Amino acid sequence: MDIIFIFATVLFFALAILYVRGCELLGKGRPHEHS
Amino acid sequence: MSANGWFQIGVFLLVIFLITKPLGVFLARVFSGEKTFLDTVLRPIEKLIYRLTGIDESHEMRWTEYAIAMLLFSGVSMGVLYLIERMQKFLPLNPQRFANLEPGLAFGTAASFTTNTNWQAYSGESTMSYLTQMAGLAYHNFASAAVGIAVAVAVIRGIARKETDKLGNFWVDTTRCLLWVLLPICLIGSLVFVSQGVIQNLKPYTTVELIEPQTVQVTGADGKTTAQTVTQQVIAQGPVASQEVIKEFGTNGGGFFGANSAHPFENPTPFSNFFQLVLIFAIPSALTYTLGRMTGSQRHGWAVWAAMAVLFFVGVTTAYWAEARGNPQLVGVNQAPISSQSGGNMEGKEVRFGIANSALFATVTTDASCGAINGQHDSFTPLGGMVPLINIMLGEVVFGGVGAGLYGIVVFVILAVFIAGLMVGRTPEYLGKKIESYDVKMAMLAILILTFTILGFSALAIIKPFGTSSISNPGPHGLSQVLYAYVSSAGNNGSAFGGLNANTMWYNTSTAIAQLLGRFFMIIPVLAIAGSLAKKRIVPESVGTFPVTGGLFSGLLVATIVIVGALTFFPALSLGPILEHLLMAAGKSF
Repeated sequence: MDIIFIFATVLFFALAILYVRGCELLGKGRPHEHS
Repeated sequence: MSANGWFQIGVFLLVIFLITKPLGVFLARVFSGEKTFLDTVLRPIEKLIYRLTGIDESHEMRWTEYAIAMLLFSGVSMGVLYLIERMQKFLPLNPQRFANLEPGLAFGTAASFTTNTNWQAYSGESTMSYLTQMAGLAYHNFASAAVGIAVAVAVIRGIARKETDKLGNFWVDTTRCLLWVLLPICLIGSLVFVSQGVIQNLKPYTTVELIEPQTVQVTGADGKTTAQTVTQQVIAQGPVASQEVIKEFGTNGGGFFGANSAHPFENPTPFSNFFQLVLIFAIPSALTYTLGRMTGSQRHGWAVWAAMAVLFFVGVTTAYWAEARGNPQLVGVNQAPISSQSGGNMEGKEVRFGIANSALFATVTTDASCGAINGQHDSFTPLGGMVPLINIMLGEVVFGGVGAGLYGIVVFVILAVFIAGLMVGRTPEYLGKKIESYDVKMAMLAILILTFTILGFSALAIIKPFGTSSISNPGPHGLSQVLYAYVSSAGNNGSAFGGLNANTMWYNTSTAIAQLLGRFFMIIPVLAIAGSLAKKRIVPESVGTFPVTGGLFSGLLVATIVIVGALTFFPALSLGPILEHLLMAAGKSF
């Protein structure tokens, strides 16, 4: 069980880092703001 | 309700109002790197920490780097806590020789304390060694609070700065928060608690002879019930005062004892109760002033504070009214407040605190993401118990958790100005920054993760035996128990409704996942908003700019928070506490 929970923890934070990248990509290429 | 009760609630709000500016100014100075009266002592310590850890304090981070640093810090420290819990039997400072925690409970607790939730599916005094309490849990009380405040400061910088992609340095913000804000006040606060009678020691538990032996019925392994006479009682000891202060000041909420702030060793006097309430709201309230000061719009900070104060007042009034009117099914029982009793619905409440202070505590602890309790929310009347539930459902932005309350309400501010912009047909602006589709998308991601987590897990738990088997009351009250567990977890509150057996593999793991999602999958889009805002240039105010400083803005902000919360959770509330209230009026209780 320890291995499972440690793996789950690592997996969650790895996914969270991917989520950071996903949110960053969503912002790429968006049109510049208008005045 | 009594004049005395209202007086205490009024004094509490006044004290919070009075400390908002001085503490807010101090926070702004700390995170802007300005001079403070503590620099002489703390600056050399700070420099030493950076030298030992190789941190370049002049390095500024983009939002992505800030977020990844925050995630790595939290992930590693969560793993360390898990290992401490799993090995406590072999580690020192375990005079009661408590066994290692089961893996599911260790995982749930590690996630809980890392996310500032402090949901406890155990009683500390019968589960955790002193080392686990101090090096594991109390460490996270400080660290998770510092992380929340650091994120809030990064968000404020995102609003305040222009045409840059830098939000500050996560390591510096966390270190300065710990050294300048949390540790000094907790040192003083713990001494205040000791002065009130909160214990602080590392002694083994004390066994005392009962003055009056008790006869209890005990069911053995064979199912037979026998009578046993109990002549001794074990009184738990421990380093309570040092953990009590950060429990509230960091809006953590995890009690040293299972009874939390209802335990006389944690909360012995009316003053300690009042002090705990002030500690919970101190930083969240002050951060609104910090927001105003760092963004150069003090009136905006106060407008946000006013919106929070209105929602707080509505909540505490409802809870106090609901509890003070008593239980209508107790026909013929005097439930009026008189000199010898508090009156009202006293089930599950401490006689020492009465109705007003129990209702106030329940409101404050769930407005903020604290989760400490001084009475059982499960025993509140249906409408009284619905107040803590709604407070968390609204996103805990009524002052909120340390840091979490501020970055949470910034999400609603983005939505409010977006809605205002739609209504008048202009591009929405927030303090000179144009709010664009990306900002609104990120705001919605931050809000929807809570909705998805709470309603998804609750739905699963109430249709499957692994979820329903833990419910202790049937009908709508049982639904409230399950709903509250996931609301409290995803909202990183940590208070328990009570009555739900949460120490099962399903609840330990599912609440842990809810806590992790509710914390980090909200922070990430919020930091993305901060990064996006920081890049924008300031556009001058025009006649079409919606002001974010006056009563109209505060009103719109309140309406946005309430409407989003109501649209999301009203169906679940109507099947839980609202239905229970109607059935109670018809003479049926659960």
